[in-house]
Amino acid sequence: MPRLKLISTAVALLCAFPFSVQAASEADFERLRAEFERRLSTLQNQYETRLKEMETRLARAEGEAAAQRAPVAHRSDRLGELSSGDAFNPRISVILDGVYYNDNKRGKGMDNYAHIDGITHAHGHDGHGHAAIERGFNLRETEIAFSSTVSPYFDAHLYLAVDSGGGVKLEQAYFDTRALPAGLKLRGGKFFSGIGYLNEKHPHEWDFVDQNLPYRTLLGEHGLNDVGLQLTWRPRNGRWHTLLGTEFMQGREHHFVTGGMELPHDVEGIGHGEMAPGKAGPRLITGFAKFAPDLGENHALQFGLSHAHGRQLQEVHDHRAEDPAAKVHGLQGTGALWGADLVYKFDAPSAYGVGDFTLAAEYLWQRKDLAVAYHQTNAAVIGAPRKYTQDGAYVQGVYGFAPHWQLGLRYDVTGLTNQLDRGTSVREWGKSERWSIALTRHLTEHSRIRLQGSTANLWGDGNKARVNQVFLQYQHSLGSHGAHKF
Amino acid sequence: MLRIFMLWLLAGLPLHAWALHVTATTASMGLLAREIGGETVRVTVLAPSDRDPHALQARPSMMRALRDADLVVAVGAELEAGWMPAAIGNAGNPNILPGRIGYFEAAAQVPLLEAGQPADRARGDVHPMGNPHIHLDPQRMIRVAHALAERLARMRPNQGEAFRARAEGFERTVSARMPHWRARAEHSPGAVLHHKDGLYLMTWLGRPVLGYLEPVPGVPPTAAHLERLASTLQGHHGVVLRAPYQPARSAEFLARRLGWEVRVVPMEPPSAGRVTDYLGLIDAWVDALASAGR
Repeated sequence: MPRLKLISTAVALLCAFPFSVQAASEADFERLRAEFERRLSTLQNQYETRLKEMETRLARAEGEAAAQRAPVAHRSDRLGELSSGDAFNPRISVILDGVYYNDNKRGKGMDNYAHIDGITHAHGHDGHGHAAIERGFNLRETEIAFSSTVSPYFDAHLYLAVDSGGGVKLEQAYFDTRALPAGLKLRGGKFFSGIGYLNEKHPHEWDFVDQNLPYRTLLGEHGLNDVGLQLTWRPRNGRWHTLLGTEFMQGREHHFVTGGMELPHDVEGIGHGEMAPGKAGPRLITGFAKFAPDLGENHALQFGLSHAHGRQLQEVHDHRAEDPAAKVHGLQGTGALWGADLVYKFDAPSAYGVGDFTLAAEYLWQRKDLAVAYHQTNAAVIGAPRKYTQDGAYVQGVYGFAPHWQLGLRYDVTGLTNQLDRGTSVREWGKSERWSIALTRHLTEHSRIRLQGSTANLWGDGNKARVNQVFLQYQHSLGSHGAHKF
Repeated sequence: MLRIFMLWLLAGLPLHAWALHVTATTASMGLLAREIGGETVRVTVLAPSDRDPHALQARPSMMRALRDADLVVAVGAELEAGWMPAAIGNAGNPNILPGRIGYFEAAAQVPLLEAGQPADRARGDVHPMGNPHIHLDPQRMIRVAHALAERLARMRPNQGEAFRARAEGFERTVSARMPHWRARAEHSPGAVLHHKDGLYLMTWLGRPVLGYLEPVPGVPPTAAHLERLASTLQGHHGVVLRAPYQPARSAEFLARRLGWEVRVVPMEPPSAGRVTDYLGLIDAWVDALASAGR
């Protein structure tokens, strides 16, 4: 319509103007029309926006009125959970851990711990080179953890340990099933074994700065950790909580399981007997059970039994470096570990952990059932038994004596039995024991400071040494920090 | 013998199979489940009602209860973050994992106060998704009751109307008392609380929270903070409220300095509580508030 009017005006103008100005008028006409069309579309756009605004306002007002009329009439319920941990997927957490350390051995106290006399010290397997603690300031391993649900069927977890020099170690990387029926759960990957009570716990969950003696000497400083599968079952059985589990692990480089150990190259082809090739995994098979009665609101108690069987254990003893007269010999057989644990917790009805008490005790017994398989010079000893036995225990208690303050006391011992039975003769080593006391101040749930002192009688190379140590530790937890297990 | 066994099967099995095993994290959630579920549910409560729900530890007995549960009724918004994930994750029961129909979170059903705060732990143990202590707010509890009725109706569709009717009943009982609470607390000058757990009730009553004994949430009171509180509130009227498990000393120190009273109020109804216990819980708070002279 406006266009028609425009055209008629233009025609009238054309008639009225003389021919000479026709060219200029045509240009004007084009300009006018463009201007007109621009204004028209602007107007249309403005109209549409206003209309939309009014519509949304009306809808909002209606919604609010409905909500006010019936504040509880929303007939729905929401699934899922509110959680700040969901802000990041995967959830990430970091633990910072540092200690100030001193001892009465001019800094050599940790060496005494690394060479405690026992059935495993004999071949120096323990010398894995992680940063030694010095007198003074130390940054311990920083733990970085990622975890997430990956599908309706699986959760996945990754734990990295970064040492102060920047070296990264893969501590755990495993999946857990979410949807298996009948209380079953399958875990696969690299993880801490479920045996014992403390084995699965990370250093930041310990009540003391350092590892206890039976774990350190029988399982290794970081506990039993390997690649494999774990199946756990929680049967329905009334008022007892029961957990049964079994693991099939590769079995590389543990104190009581190894496979495929090789003789030093310079004795290859000479001597008597030979070392068998490494067996295919799983070389380490474990079983564990935990039982917990329901003792009401204040008390919790749990008993556990564990067993680990090493299907293959090989050791090569080569002491020529220390003693030129020594002969290389190799042993092979099987290994076994038995354990019993007990945990009692009292939960007092007060804030900030006042009056809470935890008692944990564990006993481990290890047997290496070996025979001489190779000897550099002596053919007569091939097949001779070498039966190693060592055990150890710890008892520790932690009491919350004031808001966010805890006092812990620990006694640990290794080598109650500590012997090599050669069939014809028995060799024994000494018993190493220690007392530790730890004072912990939890500033918040995410920060703590701990002062720990310990005094130990440690046997090393047949000599007894008294080692006194003091640690001042801080631990900070960043990011989404998961709940702790029992 | 066999006949008796058959009879037992016939008589006992249907009832047994029909009962919904509900595991509630706190006593107030257990109370809701009992009120809305009626005879259909069997309720187990994990957190003793005389204890701080923040500070529990995962225990084997919790995993046992969760192993057998059909429905978990949690407060949520990370109130139980210190123990519930470990307990639920190790219970071996896929039906109650968060996101499944067997997991009900009360805080997810209602708008929360203090939501959207920065996730900055310099402010203490903050919950960026909002303050989780909704159970002392009668209005929000009513909304949660209706949502719970819907959830139960999804799990037992043929009893949906019964659940909804019981939620209505809960609403009627609680609503009937609301004017009394409002009137009684009307002239209260407000209170100092130990933790932000009474915030919802104070907000609903329209009475001011004059301060918190904790310098930041989750951190025990310090002398400097109490001193600061005392000097700020000098000359004001009010009352210091604390739960039985919260430390007495700091509350009494502040009350002495200000010439106020300390009132110990329960934080949760009794573990096996019903709707009357919930009314009693709010009564106790309102009485304590009203006791503060002007």
